[in-house]
Amino acid sequence: MEQKSYKDKLISFSFILPAILVVGLLLFFPVATSLFFSFTSKHLIKPNYDFVGFANYVKILNDSTFWHAFFTNIKWTVVSLAGQILVGFTAALALERIRHFKGLFRTILIIPWAFPTIVIAMSWKWILNGVSGFLPNFLVDIGLVQEIPQFLSSANLVFMTVVFINIWFGSPLIMVNVLSALQTVPKDQYEAAEIDGASSWQSFIRITLPHIRIVIGLLIVLRTIWIFNSFDMIYLLTGGGPAGLTQIVPIYAYNLGWGLKQLAQSSAVTVLLLIFLLGVSTLYFRLLNKWEREGA
Amino acid sequence: MEKSRKLKRGWFGSSVSYIYLIILSVCAMFPLLWIVLSSIKSKGELSNSPTSFLPKQISFDYYRIVIEELDFGTNLLNSVIVAGSTTLLAIFISTIGAYGVVRFFPRFGKALTKVLITTYMFPPILLAIPYSIIIGNLGMFNNRFGLIIVYLSFSVPYAIWLLVGFFQTVPLEIEEAAKIDGANKIQVYSQVALPIVAPGVVAVAIYTFINAWNEFLFSLILMNSSSKMTVAVALKSLEGQEVLDWGVMMAASVLVVLPSIIFFMLIQKRIAGGLASGSVK
Repeated sequence: MEQKSYKDKLISFSFILPAILVVGLLLFFPVATSLFFSFTSKHLIKPNYDFVGFANYVKILNDSTFWHAFFTNIKWTVVSLAGQILVGFTAALALERIRHFKGLFRTILIIPWAFPTIVIAMSWKWILNGVSGFLPNFLVDIGLVQEIPQFLSSANLVFMTVVFINIWFGSPLIMVNVLSALQTVPKDQYEAAEIDGASSWQSFIRITLPHIRIVIGLLIVLRTIWIFNSFDMIYLLTGGGPAGLTQIVPIYAYNLGWGLKQLAQSSAVTVLLLIFLLGVSTLYFRLLNKWEREGA
Repeated sequence: MEKSRKLKRGWFGSSVSYIYLIILSVCAMFPLLWIVLSSIKSKGELSNSPTSFLPKQISFDYYRIVIEELDFGTNLLNSVIVAGSTTLLAIFISTIGAYGVVRFFPRFGKALTKVLITTYMFPPILLAIPYSIIIGNLGMFNNRFGLIIVYLSFSVPYAIWLLVGFFQTVPLEIEEAAKIDGANKIQVYSQVALPIVAPGVVAVAIYTFINAWNEFLFSLILMNSSSKMTVAVALKSLEGQEVLDWGVMMAASVLVVLPSIIFFMLIQKRIAGGLASGSVK
């Protein structure tokens, strides 16, 4: 009997063992490795390295390029996310409102979400191309501008352009999640509010938002992290340029590690990035827990 | 009186909604439409009339160049192998993992959700450094198996997260009935629980496949020989050529984006709810 329960436990444990190995070996071990290398002088190609203590961190924190990348990263995240939430939310509410073609609209609107980043980058680069691109030429044709605008290389336009593309890509995810959260709001509450003479705006603020705020809150935490960490989109669209105007921290780290081959400094940057995200998420989760305790 | 006012408001609101949704749909669809149209136009047309919509003459020349001259088929095959193997491994590991967490270690499951959210915070660029060092030490650059292993790092946690939600919907009574009939743990899992959540597993599998198919950073760092590249990196390398031919680029883009969109349409309904709700409670 004793033996059987031991064997039983072993079987139970073997269900989750592979998953634990993956998370441990492929996630926590590499992070520990990065932390380790951030205290060394590791070079991308040379095999030997020394311990340098906090020298990499001191160097980075005194580098104005790093701080510029950091603040660009915050701007990139806040503006992109605000845009995605605005578009995603209003699209979901509009979809709830209409009667016909709901499924068709929904299907069309999620197309951007399925785009691989590389195709997002190439298709928009082509649409916005400063010589033969559709949009710049179209704007000239209809007389809105005199000269062909250089969306991805002009210092005035480039930041808003990459943010726009990020909003284009990320809004469907918000929309779909808001839509499924809206299904959880009890319909009778709306009816009761209507009888009491509440306007649609009032019922939205008083009934809809409180019901969906935890799901949406979690979604916002995850999207914040994701956008802050995103490397591909900007790397492929602008490579961080022109003149570092779109260089966010992951791009800065990549250029340090693979461009300048300073892998150790690059590690230190990514460790700082992780620490920052852990801090921000802790604050977010405090707020979410508070909401949960209040009982939405 | 009251009713007609409401009706009017409803009519106005839904007209605005329709117009808004039509505008958004045009924005959402345009890039896909444009890359497809560009890929079947003739050489001169792309540069001579940048704003004309439909091709004057349909030509599949760019596709011929992509397949025959650039050998893009090899890259497509690499991506299918890498994304396919990643999916099979990830789904095996995460279905048993998610089931184990739900049935045998529910307390651990709560902690696990926190661990998974923490791993979600790990910047991919942070992981790229140790991966490149470790894969280098193992001599596995340009090795598809190395890339598959690396891909498990982001596909397994996400798949577990989604699958936990699906397994939670399996009624305990059904499993207990099977146990009374003499089924052991592994049989209960494979013959009772797994078939119930099969549609969910398929959806998660397709989602995992799309994410691996679309991945760029790790592939960029670990695969640099053109015969081993996945499609994402192969597309990027097209850009580095001396004369960038946008028609060729668009034809290759169509070949990369279409599988992704088709698969996505198949599973969108199922995956959408799970993303938010599976994780909260």
